[in-house]
Parts: sequence; C-alpha cells; structure tokens
Amino acid sequence: MTRPSGPHEPERRSTIIDATEATETETRQRGRACLKAIYAALRNLKLYPVENEQAQKSLDELERTTKELIEREGELEIRIAGQLLFVNSTRLRLDLHSYASFSYVISTFRQAEVGVMTVVAGVNRKEWQVLISLLLSFAARDTAPNKLSELREKIALGGITHITVDPPASSEADLVDEERQKEVAKRTYERSVAITNELAESARMGRSASVKKVKRAVQGIVDQVLNNEITLIGLTTIRDYDNYTFTHSVNVSIFAVSMGKRLGLNKTQLFDLGMGAFLHDVGKAKISKEVLNKAGKLTDEEWQLMQLHPTLGATTLFSFRGYGDIPYRSMIAAYEHHMGINLKGYPKSLRPRDLSVYSKIITVADVFDAATSHRVYRGRDPLMPNEILQELLDDHERLGIDVVLVKALINLLGIYPVGTCVILDTYEVAIVHGVNPDPSHIHRPLIRILFTTDGGRVTDAPVTDLAETNPDGSFKKTIIKVTDPEKYGINVRDCFV
Amino acid sequence: MTETTDPEFLTDTTLVERAMHRMAKCHRAIILYLANNPVYHEAVRNVQAAFHELWEEEDQLLIHVTEDGLVWNGKLIIEEENKGDSISWVLFKDGVRGVVFEPSVEDDELVRFLSAIHQTRNLPEDADDDLLTLLWHEEFQYIKYDYIDVGLDDQRPLEHSDQHEEAPLVSSVQQEVAEEAKRPEGIVNIEDFDSTLHFLDDDEIQYLDSEIEREYNQDLRRIVLSGLFDVLELQHDQTGYDEIVTILEDFIPYLLGAGDFQSVAYILREVQVVIQRSERLRPDHREKLATFATKLSDPEALDQLLQTLDEAHVHPTEEDLGALFSEFQPKAMETILAWLPRLLNERAKDLLARATDQLAIAHPTAVKRSLNSEDRTVVLGGLGLVTRLKLTTLGPDLGKLMSHEDTDVREALVDALATVATPSAFTQLEQLLDDGDREVRIAAVRTLGAKRQGGALGRVEAAVTGKTLRTADLTEKRAFYEAFGILAGKDGVSRLAAIGLGQGLLKRKTDPETRACAAMALGKTRSADAHPALEKLVRDKEPIVRNAAEKALKELG
Repeated sequence: MTRPSGPHEPERRSTIIDATEATETETRQRGRACLKAIYAALRNLKLYPVENEQAQKSLDELERTTKELIEREGELEIRIAGQLLFVNSTRLRLDLHSYASFSYVISTFRQAEVGVMTVVAGVNRKEWQVLISLLLSFAARDTAPNKLSELREKIALGGITHITVDPPASSEADLVDEERQKEVAKRTYERSVAITNELAESARMGRSASVKKVKRAVQGIVDQVLNNEITLIGLTTIRDYDNYTFTHSVNVSIFAVSMGKRLGLNKTQLFDLGMGAFLHDVGKAKISKEVLNKAGKLTDEEWQLMQLHPTLGATTLFSFRGYGDIPYRSMIAAYEHHMGINLKGYPKSLRPRDLSVYSKIITVADVFDAATSHRVYRGRDPLMPNEILQELLDDHERLGIDVVLVKALINLLGIYPVGTCVILDTYEVAIVHGVNPDPSHIHRPLIRILFTTDGGRVTDAPVTDLAETNPDGSFKKTIIKVTDPEKYGINVRDCFV
Repeated sequence: MTETTDPEFLTDTTLVERAMHRMAKCHRAIILYLANNPVYHEAVRNVQAAFHELWEEEDQLLIHVTEDGLVWNGKLIIEEENKGDSISWVLFKDGVRGVVFEPSVEDDELVRFLSAIHQTRNLPEDADDDLLTLLWHEEFQYIKYDYIDVGLDDQRPLEHSDQHEEAPLVSSVQQEVAEEAKRPEGIVNIEDFDSTLHFLDDDEIQYLDSEIEREYNQDLRRIVLSGLFDVLELQHDQTGYDEIVTILEDFIPYLLGAGDFQSVAYILREVQVVIQRSERLRPDHREKLATFATKLSDPEALDQLLQTLDEAHVHPTEEDLGALFSEFQPKAMETILAWLPRLLNERAKDLLARATDQLAIAHPTAVKRSLNSEDRTVVLGGLGLVTRLKLTTLGPDLGKLMSHEDTDVREALVDALATVATPSAFTQLEQLLDDGDREVRIAAVRTLGAKRQGGALGRVEAAVTGKTLRTADLTEKRAFYEAFGILAGKDGVSRLAAIGLGQGLLKRKTDPETRACAAMALGKTRSADAHPALEKLVRDKEPIVRNAAEKALKELG
C-alpha cells in the first residue's frame, strides 16, 4: 500500500484564515484565483450575453489572473482527477469559500469530457471568451462518443492557439485506480475498527492503550478523506451490530473529518478533530456490556449509568498517553458530545462553558450515525437516511445540535446520503453511491442501479449521475421514493465492500 | 541476489548504491553531529550530489526495505548489520516495506526523513509516536512509503454478507410507489428541501471560521478542569469520584512541571469552591481535596516548584504567578524567602519577589513567622518585606532581633524599625547605636538623623563628645557628627565650632579627621550661626578640613 503524502504544509495552530494563508503556496493561491475567475466567467457567460458588463468584467479578470500565473510559472495546467482539482500539479483544497465554485468547474469540465486544460503564454481575452462559450455549449450536450474531438475542432476553428484540452485519464486506468483506492479504504476501515476494539478492551481492563496505533488509524482516515472521501464514506454504511460501538466510532471519525475538510481545516486540524471523534465514546468501555448491548428500553438506573460515559471517557483519556501530552482536545470532545449547544444534555454544566466546535461537529456526526443504526432507537424502526437529515434540520433545537453544521453535513452527504436505497421514476432500484459533485444537484446523487425496471439484478453497475439530462433538457432518471433496502433483500454494506 | 551483466544496469546500480551509501552516511552524521557542524553539512551536500546524479538516469527510486538492508531491483544495496545506526532496521521495525524517492527529495525532504528515523530510534517503546506517525506529520511531497500493520492481530476483513438479494418483482416496486402515491407526504418531495438550506451563507461561514479560530485559542486545560469540577459538584452517582480526586491530585505536579501555574491556581481555587458548595462530597473526598493547597505549600513541594520556576525557559506572567501564590498557605513563606536570593534567573526572581509581596500582604502572620526562623536568609527576607511593604503591625516582633547574631540581620533591622517608626521602634534604634558592629551603628545613627529623632540626641552627643568615636574610622565618625548636627541644630553650633577650630581643652589634640567631621556637621545644623566658624575653617591649614568646610558652606547656602 502506498500512502502518498500531500504537498508540504507547515503545521500552525492558529486561526482558520491564518492557517489557510500560511500553508498555501503561491501557486495554490494563484491557482485558486484562476479557478474562481474561470467559474465567474462560466457563470456569467451562461447567464448573460457576451456584451453584458458583468460578463466582460469576468473575462477581464480571467485574462488578468491567468496571465499573472503563466508569467510566474511558464504555463497553466488545470487537471481534474476524480473530485480533485490540480493547478500545475498542486492540488487545490476545497474550503467553505470555494467548494461550490470549484465543484461547478469540475462538473462543467467533466460534462464537456475535458480532463486537462493547458494554457500557455500569449493567451488573450478573445481566446478565453471563445473557449468558455464552447465549454458551456459542450457541457450542455448529451454524451457522445467523439465529444472531445469535436470540441478540439471547434477550438481550432475558433482561432484558439494558446489553449489545449485533453481527455481525463483513461477510464480503464480509472477503474484500476478506483479498485485500488477501494482496497486502501477498506484496509483503513478494517484497521480502524480493529484498533477501536483493542482500545476499548484496554480501557475495560484498565491497561494503557497504544496511542500510536490510534494515531495511525486517525492519520489513515484523514489521508483517505483527503484523497478518496467518497469510498470511505461508503464504508460507513457497514452496520455491524455486534461491533456497533467500534464501527460507530470509526464512522463518526470519518463523518467528522469529512465535515472538517469541507470547513477548510488543514491536515493537522483534521487529525485533531479525527482523534476527538475516534475517542468520543471511549467511556462506554467502562459501562457494562449488558447495559450497552441491551435490546430493549433502558431502566432509569441503566440510563443514569449510560449518561456517565462522557465523564468516564474524559477520565479514561487522562491515562491515554505514553510520554506525550494529555489529549485535552479529545477529552473535551468525549466530555461534551452529549451536552448539546444549549447545554441541556449531559453531563450538566455548572461553570461557564462554550462548547468546542469540534464537539459540535462530532455531535452532529454522532447523532447521524447513531440514527442510521438500529441500535440507538431501540424498539423503533430506523429512519431512512434522508429522513434523518430532515429531522436533524427540523429538530435541531431539541437535539441540541448546531444547525449550521447540519447544513455542512448535508453539503457533505447530499439530501440522499450514501447508502440510501431509492426507487427511480424508471422503477429501477438503486443505492446512493455519493453526493453529486455539483452542489446545485445536491438532490441528484451518484447512484448504482441494483435492479432494472423489469426486476433484473445488476451486478457491478457503473456509477450513474442523476444530473444527466436528455437532449430536451429533462433529467434521464429521477428519484421518486426512498425505500427500505431490506424489502428487496439488499444488504447495503455489500455495495461498498 | 542475482547479479546482472547488463552494463547499463550496472551503471544504474552504481549510482543507486552511491546515493544509498551517502544517505546512510548522512544519517550517521545526523546522529553524531549538530546541524551547524561542518561534517553534517558535508554529508548533506554529498547525498544531494549523489541524488542529483541519480536523477539523470532515473525518474524515481523505489527501495524495498528488509530486516537486513535496503534492496533495489532485487539487489541488496546496503547491508546494515549494526542496528544502532541502521536505517533499514528502523523502517522495517515500524512496518515500512517500501520507499519511493522522487526528484527534488534531496532539497529538503531527505534530511527531514532521516531526522525522523533518528528521532524514532530514541523513542521509548511505549511512546505516543512511532516512525509512521512522525512521517505522517512531515507531509512529504517527494517521498512515498508502503507499510504493513505491525502488531494488529484482531483485524477482521470486510467481506460481503451471505445475504442474497432477491430480484424484486416489478409489480412490487410499482405497488410500493403506488401505495406511497396515495399518501403524498411519504413520497420524497424535493421542495421539502429548500435549496437555500443547502448552502452556508456568508454569516454562517464567518461563524464557523470564528468557531475554529476560538478552538485553537482556548485554554484546553481550563476547560477540562472545569468539567471535572462540575462532575464533582453535580454528579449524583459517586462512581468515579475517587478517580477524579486522584486525577486532580496527580495533575498538579504535572502542571507545575509544565509551568502552567495559572491552572494550578485554578485547581486550588475551585477545590475551595467545591468544598464549600457541594453537599454530595463524601467526608474523605472533602478532606483529601482540602489538603491540596496545604501539600503544595510544603517545603519539599515548594522547593520543586521554585526550582521549576528558576529553570523554566518560558516564564509565567506576574498575574499567573500571583494567582498561584495567592492560594498558598502561610507556611509557604519561609521556603519562598529562603529561595528568593538563590534564584539565578532575574526575571523569575523579579516575578517571585512581587508574588511574595502579595502573599505577605495577604498573610502578615507568615512574615511574622519568618522573623523567628533559624535561617538567616529567611529572617532577612522577612525584614525586607516589613520594610518594603511597611508592615507596621509587625513592629513588636522586631525587638527580639536586636540581639540576633547575624550582622546583616541587625543591619536590615534598622531599616525595618525605621519603617515601623513607632516610639518603641525608635527606642530600639537608639539602642543599636551601641551595637557591636560598625555597619549597624552607622545605619542606626544615619537613620535616626534622617528621621530627626530628637530623643536620640543625648546618645549621639555622648558619642560625639565621648571617647567611643576616637578609634572609629572616618565614615562612622562623620555619620555620628552629621546626625548630631541634624538633631542638635542651632544648639549644637558652638560645640561643633569648638571641635572644628580645635579650641578649648581639646586644642592641639583634635585630629584633622574629627575637625573635618565637625565642619560637615556644622553644615547639617542649617543654622546661620555656623557661618563664622566655617569661614575660618575654609582657611584651615589642613586640606581635609578646608574641603569639609567648603561643602558645609554650600549646604548652608
């Protein structure tokens, strides 16, 4: 297994803005500016005629930013790889200020079947205007076998000599890469669950846990989220009820780190958040298994015992260190994750307390993962994932969760979270594979069809983008209903393992 | 290993071998020398040169890691038998099985990579980190590595379930949809999800930014401690109380070691709050908590704290230290006073002195106790506090120091008595005019003069006119004469003039030094009557007398 390292970003614990500015190389900053300019040009030329002042301004800005970057680096290469965007081989990190724009650019490029765009010195405003118009036009077209060739011809006819476009990496290579990444993601998940198990056992027996193993598990999760988030999130659909406590901790860590990524946290900050999430339920190791795994409703006494787990988590983590510092941030997350932002949860707070934002993130991830499991809602049918998200939005005050972070979770998962079983208007049955990369299609996820219209089982179905349209502009397929996968004998985990 | 005969391949092997050997040498240089050592620099330059050469032939370098050494293209390039400085052993032990180096690695990353290996070698077995966790934080761009999970046995592979999907009947899907259609609220309605809810607006983004900024600016220890105290106060169930009390107790030395004095002060303060407010505390817990502050004021514990303070690289603010010291018991005073003069760090000394002042103000009885100490340093510190802080209430406790065997103590006592400034204190000061030590006598007489204590005139006059000063040195003589001049004023002019001019019975016998002292004292009388005598004295044949008279005249104006 190869664990590629990201570009060097010096560690700095400061504000998010400071951290972002400090860690970005100039290439990254200039690349970001270029991408924003491309986005603005795409949007404005789509909305307004080319003579429009707004459209003209955005072309001016595009010409300026790209010229500056090319003067500094010799050329500009924009490359799309999966959901990742590279400018001159430097990966641009998505954050709250940019993810929607960047996703739009990725989506437009992909629809136009462009994987790489290279711009060299001498490019002028006219060339950009023609190219942007062509990209918009080709992106709107139906899929065709020679779409890119046609685009290239039009580019040549349009007198564009300083910009070239190339296809994405071959689909075969994509498949191989996808399989390899899936294997890596699976190993990360398996290892994390095993370590959670070992950690709980150590805590139960009063032994010191191996801090480095936990660190490695969380580092693995952060790497996966940064490189191949969609596969790892898919694995959170694993509902191993015998191992609920362990898979739950891993799942919460995956959701939390993924949300953190959307919030623009740097790698070290994601690690801090991941550690907190991974260890948030460590106190449960000290609750008896009879109470923890009880199938029915808990008695008052049992419930009181259960409510001790945040405190037990914090105290357990006091001994969770070898020669390093005490993991305060993780202790706070373990202690606060049931308090609620209104502090009406447990444990009660007498002294003034502002919940840590990491605790708030972990709370949202925790509630979501718990709600999608049978275990927590004892005796109650589990809600469908999309219903849970809606409930989190509607009932956030009672649940004591931060509604802004629920939005962030929806941004991450889409309206139909990964693993949701859906029926399409074609009467096909499908499983949601991931959120649509284009935020404007948040209700049109990527899916894998499991059963055809006539009930035939589909094996190894490719991923289908529900945002795909017919030539008349209507969507090819639309979700009409969310359904219980068990009704159709579907074990969701099998779609991701 | 299979040797190849391909000449081109042989060339490559040589380049790789050279790069790897120089890497091993560079690693040894990192182990043996500091980064500013010329040998270290040379080793880095050599490995950089070797990699530069290599990149002319190779696009990347994939090295396999074995227990015995580093392998390239199936050939053992470096055999490292000595585990003491072996790169391959550290890599192998922590699970690394392959490393890929790419061009530019030699610029900066290679040294960081080797440093991480060196750092790992020094880590204890149960450290929080291993090579992999350290490498992760380096975020290498030109180094990639494969690893296996070492020591993780209970790893269950994720496998497909045994469940076999049954193909749904077309009719059942349609039926489900149709049934839901009768209940429109069950059908997914995209409108339920207002699109504005999907995106975070500017205010929300700003809110999250500020929350993350807050996350990294907050006092994590304080938050954790606050939670523990809440649990102590609010938790109904006593489960874990013992553990929390023990954690808090153990935490104090940890915090002191970390130089976090403010958190220790917080613990001591909140312990008092919990003891007062919580009715649920068991008596044994209450008792144990109450001992926290007492224990911290114990000489042994305090010794450690002050040592930490003296040796600390980063010093606490005055506020932090003051907060901690305000929680100390009075018995801490003696240890602190004993330490103060010994502190080497001036900044720490200054902070401690100020904090001690606060403690003395809060606990004057502790200062009183220090005056009875057998340690002269403590007594001196106590007297210093009386003087500096004007602790007049401690006047009655100073008397017993009149006979203290240490001269420095009696000298410091002079200042303290002057500060207390009660009639009784001045009486004691007068007694010190007869002290066996010259310095004490000088200090006492100067103080009495400066304070214009007329009551002391008799004793001073007796000294001036008597035999006691005959053998004294110039400084002491001058001190007494000047004090006499101040205290006697106009009434002392004739006597001083007589001494200065050498008239009367003492004529011819009065030495020039004494006459010079008398001349200085005439100036101190501030009386116009002193002018005639001084006018004569400025023409005296003795230079010392003339000089003293000139100064005195200037003082008279």
